[in-house]
Amino acid sequence: MIKRKLILIMENKPGALVRVVGLFHQRGYNIESLHVDPVEDFTPYKHIEDKLDTKFESNQISRLTIHTMVSNTLMRQILRQLNKLIDVIAVSNEETTYLKGVLLDENLL
Amino acid sequence: MFYGKKLKLSGADMLMHALHDEGVEMIFGYPGGAALHIYDAIFRQDKVEHILVRHEQGATHAADGYARSTGKPGVVLVTSGPGATNAITGIATAFMDSIPMVVLSCQVASHLIGTDAFQETDMIGVSRPIVKHSYTVFDAEEIPKTIKEAFYVATSGRPGPVVIDIPKDMTAPENLFDYQYPDEVSIRSYNPPINPDKDQVERAVEAIIKSNRPVIYAGGGAIASNAEEELSQLNEIMDAPVTNTLMGLGIYPATHHRFLGMLGMHGTYQANMAMHNADLIIAVGARFDDRITNSPSKFAPNAKVIHLDVDHSSVSKIIEANVAVFGQVKNSLQAIIRTLKERTEDYDKEALKPWHNKIKEWKSLHGLNYGLYKDESDSHQILPQAVVQHVYQITKGEAFITSDVGQHQMFAAQYYHFDKPRRWINSGGLGTMGFGLPSAMGVKLAFPNDEVVCITGEGSIQMCIQELSTCLQYNLPIKIININNEALGMVKQWQDMNYGGRHSESTYQNSLPDFVKLAESYGHVGIKIEKNSELKAGLEKAFAMKDKLVFVDIYVDPSEHVYPMLVANNSLEDMWLSKDKKT
Repeated sequence: MIKRKLILIMENKPGALVRVVGLFHQRGYNIESLHVDPVEDFTPYKHIEDKLDTKFESNQISRLTIHTMVSNTLMRQILRQLNKLIDVIAVSNEETTYLKGVLLDENLL
Repeated sequence: MFYGKKLKLSGADMLMHALHDEGVEMIFGYPGGAALHIYDAIFRQDKVEHILVRHEQGATHAADGYARSTGKPGVVLVTSGPGATNAITGIATAFMDSIPMVVLSCQVASHLIGTDAFQETDMIGVSRPIVKHSYTVFDAEEIPKTIKEAFYVATSGRPGPVVIDIPKDMTAPENLFDYQYPDEVSIRSYNPPINPDKDQVERAVEAIIKSNRPVIYAGGGAIASNAEEELSQLNEIMDAPVTNTLMGLGIYPATHHRFLGMLGMHGTYQANMAMHNADLIIAVGARFDDRITNSPSKFAPNAKVIHLDVDHSSVSKIIEANVAVFGQVKNSLQAIIRTLKERTEDYDKEALKPWHNKIKEWKSLHGLNYGLYKDESDSHQILPQAVVQHVYQITKGEAFITSDVGQHQMFAAQYYHFDKPRRWINSGGLGTMGFGLPSAMGVKLAFPNDEVVCITGEGSIQMCIQELSTCLQYNLPIKIININNEALGMVKQWQDMNYGGRHSESTYQNSLPDFVKLAESYGHVGIKIEKNSELKAGLEKAFAMKDKLVFVDIYVDPSEHVYPMLVANNSLEDMWLSKDKKT
């Protein structure tokens, strides 16, 4: 078990945060810390906008940083479960990123 | 025309128009305070039929049965508070089995939310862990778009239930909006895989070519993806043994000579042995549930695993996959077939001969006895297995069979041979007692000219028995086969095997109702069968009454257990074959 960092970019919609937090409880994963910010500056996410062929606007997306104690195999499962949430645009564990359901071998966030 | 574009409509009328434009033929529901505007809109139209159930659990199971049998999404309408919470069991049932469903749950008016108003429940919160996604309508104008999105999410990728919470003021008759149903929908954060990666497909084909002892293991995902033909085409090339999960029964014809039967907890001896000894398992829309794997660390020790699934998170969750093929199972199978066809000279069917011989040997060793229905002797009590075999004979294997949960469910899965998908309707994942009768209503409404049979037990049937009244209202001549062992049979079996035969709270102390009178009081026909010699004639009489719901109450041997049964915490070769015989 090691402490791992997860970063999520998600739609800033009512109930979206509860879905993420609830998923950790439901699947028996542990949250060490959680930090949420609305994204105001989209320049770091230009490549995501390009890949999704979309334009983020003010108050539309949030960035979540979650620290969790997990094994490597569980990490993959958490990533995949988070990726399944409809409001999650991208989720990354610093090595791989799921962007709108597609696995990419890079840290996009 | 009543339905056109650019109409001025209330939220409630927009909802009904949107359902019609989405292709919804019927919805299952129950009215109440917060739903009244919508119910008034239902009254004003005749395009979408509303089926009034007797309990909201019945509505969800009926919509579920409709969805499983037709492949189209089931639609449910319930009121706020208890209406919504009563629907929870049915939503969880659909979620566990990945059944497309849209649940419209009404809510107290927006200004009352959070005030503990009459019949207020946070339905989005209560249902969150058991839905694929959910929506709250905050702006009535959004209703058409929300409906479009909800149906898209419910039916695409890995299907599942979607809840839409609709506060009462969103459907108020005095507020009118321009109605237009969106032609298209796209959600920028949602993109379920459709076509598989070429590289993954080539690796899968390579593994298939190298295998000498392959098994195809197909589950509910193959049915969801309508991959019946592709599965048969693949096996025309491969000629491999095929097993189906409880959820997958029918996706491969049960009467095909390569079919092994169901696998897992109560799977056939040959299916479990084949999985355990395979060198390659091709999982097609199946998720290695704990009822399938037994102890995952002892599961199929020498097998490579190719896993075809639309859901990333199902692959390598329990059993590590050597090759993962993400995409719609149907598309993935097509890609594998195409690639395999290009390399037919590399695939040697003959190499499978020893494997087929081994399977033949297993079949002859401990096969199920499919001839029980021939025994009409009164020297012993009726066997539950024989009841299912009779039903199979009488319906020529062509009926839709719904079931509840317990011994009767396993007997039905073992002894009714499904040659087509979407004919076997049961709660596999959640194991919901009370599912059988309401789901049979949904099937019968979708297929009024087909035989629909609910194989149930006296425990399960009492959990949604009130729906007998719905069956009368809508004239649904379902046949209910009540396998009555006067006990919660599966609980009792576990108590016999693991708890020294202490039948704690699994019998009813002579408190069962007279099911014949009960059926009659609801305006149906009841038949009671107690003797083996009466079984065949009694069932034939029931099935001859084409336009009547017949409740056949059959008293069976209460001591009968379901076998084979996996020995807990072991491998798939470790099975109880009878009360005193283990592998």
